[in-house]
Parts: sequence; structure tokens; C-alpha cells
Amino acid sequence: MQTVIQVSLSGHSKAFQLEENAYRSLQAYLERARARLKRDPDHEEVLRDLEQSIGEKLGQSLRPENRVISRKEIDVVLDEVGAVNTGNGDAADTTPLGRPRRLCRIEEGKWFFGVCQGLAAYSGIGVDWVRSIFVIVSVFTGGLPVLIYLVLMFVLPVVRTYDEYNASLHTPSSAL
Amino acid sequence: MDSERFSTLRKGLLEFLILGIVSSGRVYVADMMQRLSGTDFATQEGTLYPLLSKMRREQLLDYEWQESETGPPRKYYKLAATGRKHLAEFREYWKSLTSLIDELGKPSCKQ
Repeated sequence: MQTVIQVSLSGHSKAFQLEENAYRSLQAYLERARARLKRDPDHEEVLRDLEQSIGEKLGQSLRPENRVISRKEIDVVLDEVGAVNTGNGDAADTTPLGRPRRLCRIEEGKWFFGVCQGLAAYSGIGVDWVRSIFVIVSVFTGGLPVLIYLVLMFVLPVVRTYDEYNASLHTPSSAL
Repeated sequence: MDSERFSTLRKGLLEFLILGIVSSGRVYVADMMQRLSGTDFATQEGTLYPLLSKMRREQLLDYEWQESETGPPRKYYKLAATGRKHLAEFREYWKSLTSLIDELGKPSCKQ
């Protein structure tokens, strides 16, 4: 079974059919673009321009026309379009809009079950720091964090990547 | 390696290169990228659209919509009066810069 999501992109009258993963990838790209453009007075217009370009590129490679687009295909297109760069200094551009509120396990880059990755994403502290603190506190307390880890491992929901984690905190904007 | 070193310089120049490209007539974004591809200034939509919208706010550029046979209507950019003036000033300034750079470090002959 496969979930297919219909997406309308700015300017394009026909909807695009995306695999669920492909949709997530596109959504994450647009959320990042929106965050980076937050200080641009014309951000809505730039986002529409980007959506239209993405649609054009997708359209060029679509044969037959209403084929379902895979994650791989959309990632190639998003790579071509490139991350939004406003030229206002990279540090400011990469600051997230607001810190995510939900604690999850994140599988991307995990060592064991992704609890530290989740804590890092939640707190904004680097994952190396989280792991170091974890080890140091474990040494001094006789393994208390290990117990907490085990509890969190069972309690927390899992997401696969950071992008997905970030995307899950916003409501979809392009789904029909 | 060197091209890495000059990246800050290039970032500032891109705007003037766009003015240069657009001075040839009405230009679509894909054509701008085509013109810059293969040069040190090759760029992507993610960089170009925010820059174009800034340049339009500064009244350097303007655009008009044009129907396309293959998809939705496209924005074709053209030079605005201020943009034309900026480009002319930039070309003058660039000439004076290159002659300055050539002159610097040369032993002065007349003393």
C-alpha cells in the first residue's frame, strides 16, 4: 500500500502526485525557505516563485504526466533549486523560527535509539554535548541517566530525520 | 581553492551581473541561470529569487508576466531606470578599480 498526496504548486493548474516521503521532503524545504525569508517583506512572493520553479522542473521530468513522484525525484529537483540564501549573513539565516516543542526520538545519526538526538533537537544543544553530559552525569550518579534513557526510549515517538522532526511541528500548507 | 577565497567578493558582484544580463532585454530566471552557468557565478533559484525581489524593491528591476506554452505564465525581468543608472556607474567604478589594482605595487617611475 502506498499513500499518495496531491499537491498544488503556485501557478500550476494541475496538481502533482507525490509519494508521502516526497511530500515531506518538499514540505521541509518550503518550511526552511519560509524561515529563512521571514525578514523579507516579499517573502510570500518569493515562495510562490520557488514553488512555480519546482513545479516547472517536476513537469519537465514527468512522463507520463500524472505519474507519482518519488522522494528521490523531488530531492533532485530541490537540490537544483538550492536552499534559500538571502545573503544577509548565514548565521541569521539558519536560525530556526522557534524552537520545536515536542520531544521525540530521531533516527538520523543515532547511536542507540536516538534519544540523545531527540534531546539535542529539542534543546538546541549539539548532540555531542548532550552525549558528553549524559556520560559524565552517568559516571557521577551511578547510571541514573541510563535509567531515564530506557524510560524515554519506550515513551517517546520516533521520527526518522531532523527535517521530518522540524516539518512535523508545522501544519501542512500545500496539501489539497 | 582561489575561487573559495573570492566568494565574498563574488556575492557582492552578483547583483551587478544580473543588471548586466537584464540590460540585454526581457529575461526569464532560467535564462539568467543559463547565462551564468559554467562561470564562477553559477547560481540557483534559491539565491536568485530573493535577490531579484530585493532588486525590484530597490527599483533596479521590474518584471512583467508573459504566457508560456509549456506551463504557467512567467515573470520576465527588465531593467528599470535606476537599474540602468546603477549599471553604468558600476561599469565606470569597475574600470577605475581595475586600473587602481594594476597600478598598485608597480614601482613609480617618475620621481
